[in-house]
Amino acid sequence: MLTGVVFDIKEFAVHNGPGVRVIVFLKGCSLHCSWCHNPEGLSPQPQVMHSAAGERVAGQVFTSTELAARINSQAGLLRAAEGGVTFSGGEPLAQAGFLAEVIDQLPGLHVLLDTSGHVAERDFRLVAARSDLVYFDLKLIDTTQHRFHTGDGNEGILHNLHVLSAMKVPFVIRVPLIPGVTDSESNLSAIAHTVAGMPGLQRVDLLSYNRAAGAKYAAVGLTFRPTYDELWPLNVNTDCFDFAGVEVRVV
Amino acid sequence: MMTENMAGMTGPAKKAGQIAAGGECRSSATTANHFKLEPRLEDMKRNLREGYFKRFRDSEEVDVLTECEAERISWPRRMARLTRRMCEAQRVVICPEDLIVFTRTVAKVPPIYSEAEYRVLTAGHRLHELGPISNICADWGLVLTQGLSGRREVALKTRAANRNNPAAVEFLDCALETIDAVLALARRYADEARRLGRFDVAQTLDRVPAEPPRTFREALQALRLCHAVLWLCGHYHCGLGRFDQYMWPYLKGNLEAGRLTEAGTEQLLAEFFLSLNRDSDLYSGVQQGDNGQSLMVGGVKRDGSCAINLLTNMVLRVARGVGMIDPKINLRITKDTDLKLLELAAQLTEIGLGFPQYSNDDVVIPGLMAHGYTAEDSRDYSVAACWEFLIPGRGMEVVNIGALSMSAAVDTAIRTGLASGDSFEGILDRVGADMRRQVDRLIESYSGLLLPPAPYYSVLMDGCLERGHDLSEGLKYNNYGIHGAGSSNAADALAAVKKFVFDLKSLSPDQLITALDTNYEHDEPLRRTLFEEGPKTGNNDDHADAFMVRLFDLFADACEKVRDNGRGGIVRPGSGSAMYYIWLATGHDGMIEPVIGASADGRKRGESFSSSLAPSQGVRVRGPLSVLQSYAKPDYRRICNGGPLTMELTDTVFRNPEAIHQVALLIRLFAFVGCQQLQINTLNVETLKDAKLHPERHRNLVVRVWGWSGYFCELDEVYQDQIIARHVYGD
Repeated sequence: MLTGVVFDIKEFAVHNGPGVRVIVFLKGCSLHCSWCHNPEGLSPQPQVMHSAAGERVAGQVFTSTELAARINSQAGLLRAAEGGVTFSGGEPLAQAGFLAEVIDQLPGLHVLLDTSGHVAERDFRLVAARSDLVYFDLKLIDTTQHRFHTGDGNEGILHNLHVLSAMKVPFVIRVPLIPGVTDSESNLSAIAHTVAGMPGLQRVDLLSYNRAAGAKYAAVGLTFRPTYDELWPLNVNTDCFDFAGVEVRVV
Repeated sequence: MMTENMAGMTGPAKKAGQIAAGGECRSSATTANHFKLEPRLEDMKRNLREGYFKRFRDSEEVDVLTECEAERISWPRRMARLTRRMCEAQRVVICPEDLIVFTRTVAKVPPIYSEAEYRVLTAGHRLHELGPISNICADWGLVLTQGLSGRREVALKTRAANRNNPAAVEFLDCALETIDAVLALARRYADEARRLGRFDVAQTLDRVPAEPPRTFREALQALRLCHAVLWLCGHYHCGLGRFDQYMWPYLKGNLEAGRLTEAGTEQLLAEFFLSLNRDSDLYSGVQQGDNGQSLMVGGVKRDGSCAINLLTNMVLRVARGVGMIDPKINLRITKDTDLKLLELAAQLTEIGLGFPQYSNDDVVIPGLMAHGYTAEDSRDYSVAACWEFLIPGRGMEVVNIGALSMSAAVDTAIRTGLASGDSFEGILDRVGADMRRQVDRLIESYSGLLLPPAPYYSVLMDGCLERGHDLSEGLKYNNYGIHGAGSSNAADALAAVKKFVFDLKSLSPDQLITALDTNYEHDEPLRRTLFEEGPKTGNNDDHADAFMVRLFDLFADACEKVRDNGRGGIVRPGSGSAMYYIWLATGHDGMIEPVIGASADGRKRGESFSSSLAPSQGVRVRGPLSVLQSYAKPDYRRICNGGPLTMELTDTVFRNPEAIHQVALLIRLFAFVGCQQLQINTLNVETLKDAKLHPERHRNLVVRVWGWSGYFCELDEVYQDQIIARHVYGD
């Protein structure tokens, strides 16, 4: 049986899928987006967080059975409330084998995968095939820009997006609006152009910038170094999506 | 989101163009089609918040005492005289914008006995709180369908049949005097309205409250006047009962006849709600806002069929648009309640007034039946001032004779049990014994309960005029209720002792007792271990929850031992804390329960307990689903005095377009898992902190305190801080 590292489990996470959900944050991510607001999700290992409130360990090791049991203890409620479980991170697919094992022990529960798509195709398919809905993060279409702001290019991500589309699993594109970075007309237009007409696409969510992004960096011994000006006004013009016939909403 | 911010809410975010980074993005789902006060009522609301109506108040006190003493009349007659003189002393106030009239001008309720005489009169007796009958609910349906003239006929008929029973004759004469006093007051209002050319007001008061209303407006006017007079006679915490049931016939008739549009109806309803805030600063309570103007909607009819109607929905919509602390809305639901109705309720929850408070019919009705209420009456339940279940018009119940301090029972048992070398079961036996002692002491202290006569309230109840008995002599239901305060902290203390002293044996009894006696001053590591590593109620962890269940079982055992409370009723245990979550920590004048010092759950002296049902303050909690699962565990058929699960949601939840639906689902889950009662505060901790620093910027900020909602800046600091320290979910 595989084990995995989880850095948080939240109940009633309203921003992470339909109905009443439990969201499981898996630790470890291969991207380093400068706006990341869960820096404790970057390292794959459990780590100590230091803050004014004291110390706590972020990262608890679960066997797949333990994690499934924890989720299943609330499955009746989640089903009754039109919800389910959301796996997020970090990058949940960094622990794809573990995650697949967990999902196989959650019969009849709605599973939402919240991923950056920045993983090997095999890992992507393994979990996406077991998911009822995928939230697929799409940040920047220009790969140079992507590499500058997140630490790597987006070729693999775009590839997995097309894999997802071909798998016919319903999905939502999630675009974090970062002032002066992802919210430009050209980037939003390119995203609209890329996703328009994909069969499983439900809609595009534009996520308003979270100004508390830097709050937890010191606690994990990192420095928050945004590659943009946080105070810059955000562009939330959705015309390009309307024009491309893509349902969009700002959340 | 907070009520005060509603005006600043932006529209649908789509197409919003440029907005500031991190700025407010509001969903279209939550902004659409809300009820809005018409300008006339916006002005009225502003006037209310600015205290405009206080200018009509007379400073001088009405003298009723002199004539009472000169005539040497009986207590019931003095109460009737008080009602009459107070009605007579009321000056007529008809503001140009008022469609529903009545503004209180007599501020103070004067004495009817000298202090010395009152002492003699009440010697050897126990009074409940301030004395006058309070915290019950009239049978407003009966009052409206019969009209006060109809009630008068009933009184006359009973009087004729009891001509040879002087006590009945005296009571009925007193009741008649109060009816005539209210009718005379209505006539004076009508006359003045005619003089002012306000023929609409005059016509309404020519009809009501004497005769049964023909229109929704007449029904609201009758209710406003009859309800306000209760407060004039010194009664308080006067409930409004099942408003959507007794008002519905009048609204339905109007809508069918085409006399009113739904929009017009909603404005009238809003004016009625506003009117309940006009004099409420004169109403007594522990804190400003604690005034018991509770209003129930939803649920089932007496025959068990669905009671939800258009007015149920309208009340939720209008209360949202009114956005004031009164009336306090309650909604009865089940696990099968239509989500559309729950979404309307969630929209009211969204604005942060702390209501509706939700009650689960699937749990409450069987609980009441198990406590001797008939099936029909059980289905007809409403709540008293806060959460205590009662049957409007059919009970002379005292739902809050006091609080059982679970924390005291547990703290005493732990200290004495450990000092005596008890087993853990031995400690639990001590807890049970202490609870029995506390319940017996409370019942004993109420054995000489003296309820003053209440001729006017009797008019409004079902059975007093009919039988010729004053309400104070009792009614169909005469039960007592006792709050159960501090349950989560007490359960956590037991769980910690079980784990560390008995199971792990990592803590010696002496070490714990010393740490408790010294408030952990020399053993902070131990406190942190108990606080952070002890099992905690609210995490769906049986290691802690089982103790909470056990505590409520012991409490129920203690109450069930009391066969008769001295008034022909039983004793209902409850899960509410009332203000004891503060008082048990800080002490309070007149409180018989001991102040709890440091406790074995890692709580230090002076720190507040959690309010009613909620995890102990500051402990780690998995989240609201685990909280629901934990608090579904007590056997509520035995714990039936009410007391809500108290939950805080961050206002950022409502930024999500689906939040209203999701919150509605969460509310339905509360019923699904089998909890009894729920209240949700929507708040933002940063706003609350700012309000403490800059109260002038947050005058209209509302929070749910315990069983009622109040203006945050009008609360004592200790209550403000306890709210700031609560668990907030949904981030």
